[in-house]
Amino acid sequence: MKMVKIMEGKRVALLTVMASLCVGIQIAPRLPNVEFTSIICFLVGFLFGTLFGAFLGALTMFINGFLSPWGFAGTIMPFQMFGMALMGFMGGLYRKSLGRNFSTSKILNLEVSFLAAFFTLIYDIITNIGWALPSNTPIIAALIWGTWFTMTHVISNTALFGTAFFGLVRIMGNLLGENVWSCQKEA
Amino acid sequence: MELSKRSLIIFCLGWLVSLALMSSVAGYYYMEFQNLTELLKRYGSCVMRVNICVDYKEWNGTVVWCNDTIVPLGCNLLQATKTVAIVNSTYWPAYQASFVDAINGVWKSGTYFWMWYHWSAEKKMWEYGNVGADRYPLTNNETLMWRYEVPGYS
Repeated sequence: MKMVKIMEGKRVALLTVMASLCVGIQIAPRLPNVEFTSIICFLVGFLFGTLFGAFLGALTMFINGFLSPWGFAGTIMPFQMFGMALMGFMGGLYRKSLGRNFSTSKILNLEVSFLAAFFTLIYDIITNIGWALPSNTPIIAALIWGTWFTMTHVISNTALFGTAFFGLVRIMGNLLGENVWSCQKEA
Repeated sequence: MELSKRSLIIFCLGWLVSLALMSSVAGYYYMEFQNLTELLKRYGSCVMRVNICVDYKEWNGTVVWCNDTIVPLGCNLLQATKTVAIVNSTYWPAYQASFVDAINGVWKSGTYFWMWYHWSAEKKMWEYGNVGADRYPLTNNETLMWRYEVPGYS
């Protein structure tokens, strides 16, 4: 019973650290549309479940909406929250689709980077809609105007997820000192 | 290596993303084209087209043509050249004209200078520009050339 409580405490602590890290990186000066929030939310969803991931995504974008160096998010904030919550949620779903035991492999790295590309695109579509609706701009035009931002976002996230995601999963497993994910490196 | 159904679905999503991005880039350039065409239509009466050649044969053997360059009406050769190249020039008050020192980083050196010519449609030949480039107002559809050379008169 005591052991279970220690594990829960570790998880809560780690979740708090991830949330702080997420918000810290999100509000730090950086290149437009190159961000690390998506991978952290997806990772948290992957490790702690769909709801945790979604909660972290929404919370991060809520705080970011007020503190972002690009200014107050305004009416776009709910769309950002929804988009990032979806990213965290999908991390959890992806974990479920892998099953209890899985081996990391090049295919999984490719899978996760393609998933990142897809959900980054979805996030950008959602946030562009969030910008287009209040400003009465045609949605297609808003999407096209944001092409180069979307491109940067998708490419950077694809590369980041493909190269770093499963490494982070292993590091987090080691940090928690438990093998809850049963994740093994393929020989 | 056999791919699972999940992998195939995810790879299809990746393929969809690349399609969407390519369509978006195509749309972006289409919109840019439409905007610029509209702009050109609006300002059509205030602009003219000229052909500018920059001849680096004596430098590295290349010749660059900038055909149908759109410039404002009444523009002079120096201004037009600055729209297609990086130009360094010096204004000489004594001549009330500018002398071009370099084009795209190729500087006058020793006996080599940047000289300009205009194409004479009547004589079907290049003719030396006899004034500073900023003293030569262009006309519509004119063809001009900058040549890096040892001037013929030297």
